[in-house]
Amino acid sequence: MAHFSIPLPARRTVSIDLSRFNGIVRLLANRRVQLALMILVPILLLTTFRSVLPIAGPLETNLRAMTKAPSLEHLFGTDRMGRDIFSRTLAGIQISMFVGFAVALLSLIVGLVVGTLAGFFGGAIDRVMMTITDIFLAFPSLLLAIGLVSVMGTGMLPVVLAISLSDVPRFIRLQRSMALSLRSRAYIDAARTVKASHLWLMTRHIVPNTIASLLVAASIAAANAILVEAGLSFLGLGIMPPAPSLGNLIRDGQSYLEQAWWISTLPGAVILLIAISLHFLSDGIRQVLDPRSRK
Amino acid sequence: MLVYSLKRFAQLFTTVLGVVTLVFFTMRMIPGDPISAIAGDNLSGEALDRMRSQMGLDAPLFVQYLNYLGHLATFDFGNTVTTKLPIIGLILGALPVTVSIAVGTIVLTVLISIPLGTLAAFTAHKGHRMLDNAITGVAMVLDLMPSFWTSLVCLLIFSLTLGWFPASGTVSIDDPAHLLRRIALPVLVLSMAQVATLARITRTSVLEVLSEDYVRTARSMGWSELRVLFRHALKNAALPIVTVIGLSFGNLLNGTVIVEFIFTLPGIGNLLVGGMNSRDYQMVQTLIVFYALIFVAINFATDLIYRVFDPRVQF
Amino acid sequence: MNLHVPIREPLLDVRDLHTHFVTDTGTVKAVNGVSLQIEAGERVAIVGESGSGKSAMAMSLLRLLAHPGKVVAGEINLEGHDLNRMSERQLNDIRGAKIGTIFQDPMSSLDPVMRIADQMVPPIMRHLRLRRDAARAEAISWLDRVGIPDPSRRIDAYPFEMSGGMRQRVMIAMALSCRPRLVIADEPTTALDVTIQAQIVELLKELTAETGAAMIFITHDLGLVARFAHKVGVMYAGRLAEFGPVGDIFARPQHPYTQSLLDTIPPVDQQERRRLAQIPGFPPDMKRPVTGCAFKDRCPGAHRHCFEEAPELAARGNDHVAACWLPEGLGADRTVERPLVEPLAPTGIPGDDRVAVEINNLHKHFTGRSALPWRKPPTVRAVNGISMRIRRGETLGIVGESGCGKSTVARLLLGLDPATSGDIFIDGIAQMVFQDPASSFNPKMTLSSIIQEPLIVTGWGTRLEREDRVRELLGQVGLDESYMHRYPSQLSGGQRQRVAIARALALKPSVVVADEPTSALDVSVRAQIINLLMDLKQQLRVSFVFISHDLLTVSYVADMIAVMYLGEVVEYGSADEVFHTPAHPYTQALIAAMPIPDPAAEAARVQTPLSGELPSPLSLPPGCSFASRCPKATDYCRSHKMVLKPYSATRETACHYAN
Repeated sequence: MAHFSIPLPARRTVSIDLSRFNGIVRLLANRRVQLALMILVPILLLTTFRSVLPIAGPLETNLRAMTKAPSLEHLFGTDRMGRDIFSRTLAGIQISMFVGFAVALLSLIVGLVVGTLAGFFGGAIDRVMMTITDIFLAFPSLLLAIGLVSVMGTGMLPVVLAISLSDVPRFIRLQRSMALSLRSRAYIDAARTVKASHLWLMTRHIVPNTIASLLVAASIAAANAILVEAGLSFLGLGIMPPAPSLGNLIRDGQSYLEQAWWISTLPGAVILLIAISLHFLSDGIRQVLDPRSRK
Repeated sequence: MLVYSLKRFAQLFTTVLGVVTLVFFTMRMIPGDPISAIAGDNLSGEALDRMRSQMGLDAPLFVQYLNYLGHLATFDFGNTVTTKLPIIGLILGALPVTVSIAVGTIVLTVLISIPLGTLAAFTAHKGHRMLDNAITGVAMVLDLMPSFWTSLVCLLIFSLTLGWFPASGTVSIDDPAHLLRRIALPVLVLSMAQVATLARITRTSVLEVLSEDYVRTARSMGWSELRVLFRHALKNAALPIVTVIGLSFGNLLNGTVIVEFIFTLPGIGNLLVGGMNSRDYQMVQTLIVFYALIFVAINFATDLIYRVFDPRVQF
Repeated sequence: MNLHVPIREPLLDVRDLHTHFVTDTGTVKAVNGVSLQIEAGERVAIVGESGSGKSAMAMSLLRLLAHPGKVVAGEINLEGHDLNRMSERQLNDIRGAKIGTIFQDPMSSLDPVMRIADQMVPPIMRHLRLRRDAARAEAISWLDRVGIPDPSRRIDAYPFEMSGGMRQRVMIAMALSCRPRLVIADEPTTALDVTIQAQIVELLKELTAETGAAMIFITHDLGLVARFAHKVGVMYAGRLAEFGPVGDIFARPQHPYTQSLLDTIPPVDQQERRRLAQIPGFPPDMKRPVTGCAFKDRCPGAHRHCFEEAPELAARGNDHVAACWLPEGLGADRTVERPLVEPLAPTGIPGDDRVAVEINNLHKHFTGRSALPWRKPPTVRAVNGISMRIRRGETLGIVGESGCGKSTVARLLLGLDPATSGDIFIDGIAQMVFQDPASSFNPKMTLSSIIQEPLIVTGWGTRLEREDRVRELLGQVGLDESYMHRYPSQLSGGQRQRVAIARALALKPSVVVADEPTSALDVSVRAQIINLLMDLKQQLRVSFVFISHDLLTVSYVADMIAVMYLGEVVEYGSADEVFHTPAHPYTQALIAAMPIPDPAAEAARVQTPLSGELPSPLSLPPGCSFASRCPKATDYCRSHKMVLKPYSATRETACHYAN
């Protein structure tokens, strides 16, 4: 555990509030967060600047370099059509990251709004919301996504919506349970004795105290979305080839497993790496929030 | 107990009805209709209309919905579009394969993860972090490995390179020895992910119980740490563990679809992917409802088990 | 080291015990060299505030400390055998058999998923080498001895089927069931109501006297010590500050810490109320090494020597030792006249007899959901018809045990819950100070925004004006303005309660409702908060409603007292009258159960604790609600409802036989 301490002035006369940035500083001082960033930042840089890297484009075929094993020229090897797997993986990461981010953001926003309302007001709104989430939670997540893709067709938007559909109810549940327990806190009662509005109570007292936990959940949801998207594409139900989504890459290699192991396994390892670092990130946030959880 | 079960059952019924309704109306939102999808461009307009009225698709939506509910109540799911076989027959034929994978996975998972999780908790409680960190770390990596990728890697290593298990071939429930060899790898792959979840929750629950006041009470009466672990900690931790086994069944079902596809096992997951690829929406719809029902029923069962085992729950 | 020479070998002889908790942020030396002897049959109380190491010391004796706690040095000789050198296995033959332990919270100390029999019988079989049926018979006889009704049936019950008081009885039966020579009780009554506490204390006294077991009784309550103990050890910062016979410690305390602690307690005889003594500052950080005496920074008598060398325990009389360089501690002149607290005139503030709060026939019923739709839903009558008036500047104390409805009254007064019927008139506004300082504040807000919140919500002033008001309020509660930008987590319990008071005063309310404002605080801090409330009352002429289960504090703070039982006020009148000549049998029982920090007075009191427990609020008896526990109850009481009737000019009571 790295120890970071920022010396605070003993007597503060200027009202610059250092403690406000404490959270971010402590987050960056957390070893798991550092580890996660050490993996995520280079990957993101590589994918962002892949067009200036000295590698072939993800869709470029090269008939002279078909099914080449990994080498310095082709880090991850090439596939049957001579396309560079490394380049395709970088492009795939971009798609995966987008899906992960979009799902996490969508789930976070809907979960925050609906969950807060249901938990804070309770009663009929709450019961209706809980019945609806129950119905969605009755589907195993991949199957719900498959069902939805069968209706909306394949492509980026349907995939994002299909994955979110099983995450949103979980976020609503989470936010609702936190709002429900915060609702009876003494500081909410104190604000209610001066007739503070519902909006005030929700935005000042409930959301600031739940947002961090939602962020933890969101980074896990992002990791999960990346895995589910890859699974869908792998089954041929996600993003359509030739778009190089990571699931498609693995699917491409499935038939040549014996002849060209690298086509499937290396992109899969990258997915794993990203998922692990997102989990480290969420673990780190949780540790910073609640030092006891390290137990 | 009776009143509670009835109430819970009523709640279950609402959920199931909601599931069925949701699936029905969503599937009806598909652009065009099932008939055009099957027929493609080969049939004339009249022939299409005839087919529609045969299948009851010309009736108002609500009537179709009621018909659908009626059919469901009598377990009549209709026929597949391509082969005209009754869907229920196909599902019942495929079910044993999926069930053996699921049961095998759960048994293997429980056998591995509960001792492992308990061990991690016990060592962590005594302040030894090494083993605990190792177990939690491995569990996390296992948990995050995409099951289709793990399947391919296992296939590559154990079937293609080492040749221990057949990678394909027919499967029949009548030949248990062969079935076992065929499902061994899928079960292993699925267990990897499940072990992670269950070992982690076992660790957390046992660790929590070990720091409870009543454990200290038992220690103050002269019980050894191991005896306290077995008599108090596992008994109390069993309740959250049972719940999590029920909840992780959803992930297990997700996983069966993938492994059946990769290992070409004729289970209901393979029916689903096949149905998607041949655009047999009747089949897909039925299977999704079917999966949801299994999941809901399992959770209902774990909930009741929980309540039977926990004396504090009042009915 | 140890200056009193034992005539015979003591039962327990602890020598130079050290217990450390090694954490990421440093090593906490929770017990830092404790030595003490306990004779067979002796009841020894160990008192101290939170963090003094008293519980860590008790748990060290049997090595029951949770990780990372560890006994690092010392001898623990029980009948000549050193427990600290025993293996875990050897120690397991001592635990339960030679030393029984009773823990603080009866709700969590018994395994919820095991029957009482399964928790009690196996240890008896093991330690007394009995067969199962004999052990079970033994367990049943113990349950009977601790007063569990129908023990042969109740032994197969689960803990959740019992009340807190009953569970603590089971805990006691379990701890004594293998006939230990020593019983360690770690705050055994802290989680219980005062009448139940009195029952449990009597039970422990009786049973240890019968079995001849010695007892170590860990507590923070000096009143209980006076009632219970033969000898007292006072702990401070991991060490014994003073140890001696109970009468001696209370009559001639020698250590400045003991002396100050005793002075922080409101006196029982309140002919004239003086300000309570306060102990300034905080206990030392146990992670840092202490040079010199640990109490020096808070001690008014500290001199150079105290900063250089830590004093050892030295004889101060027969069996009486204290660790202080000053021969008499602060000496007798420590009671230099503390200023008198001006009592409220019987007629209220002269020239101002306005009523701040008037409550008429207030009801609050909570209706649950019935199991079956056609059944009548269960209803709890939390507040069942109360009427009161609070004059401006007056403090009303509401006392009663948990479940009596006192906190519901507070919520109704503040408008947090709607009343079922009846009305509340408040001249001005009501504000609140909550019990639990930890959940009173939004952890994400600075103190400045916390105190400003009522002002912002009601649209009071500009930003600068509000900040000025925050400074003024902080000053009123004794905090300087550097606190404005701190977060609640950076404050101690006492400071949080000051901030809570500042927030409550922000809008200049006419009445402040304080629900158990001091019960989560340590004794020394409690006195500070009580003094602050008394000052504010004088300065601001604000009315207080002071809700507490602690009758002694209420009688000190309040002008008027209302005693509540099961949602009703059973006695209501001027504080002195209610406290000194209680008329209602329930008030009498509460006062009898209240431990008084004076061993001589305790010895003179007749100990007949109120029997029974609170009846279920779901099915109240038809007549007087107290009839089921009242020693004087007759058939008339059981069939007739009692209402408050005038008893004297300034008092009303709801008992048929009081008048």
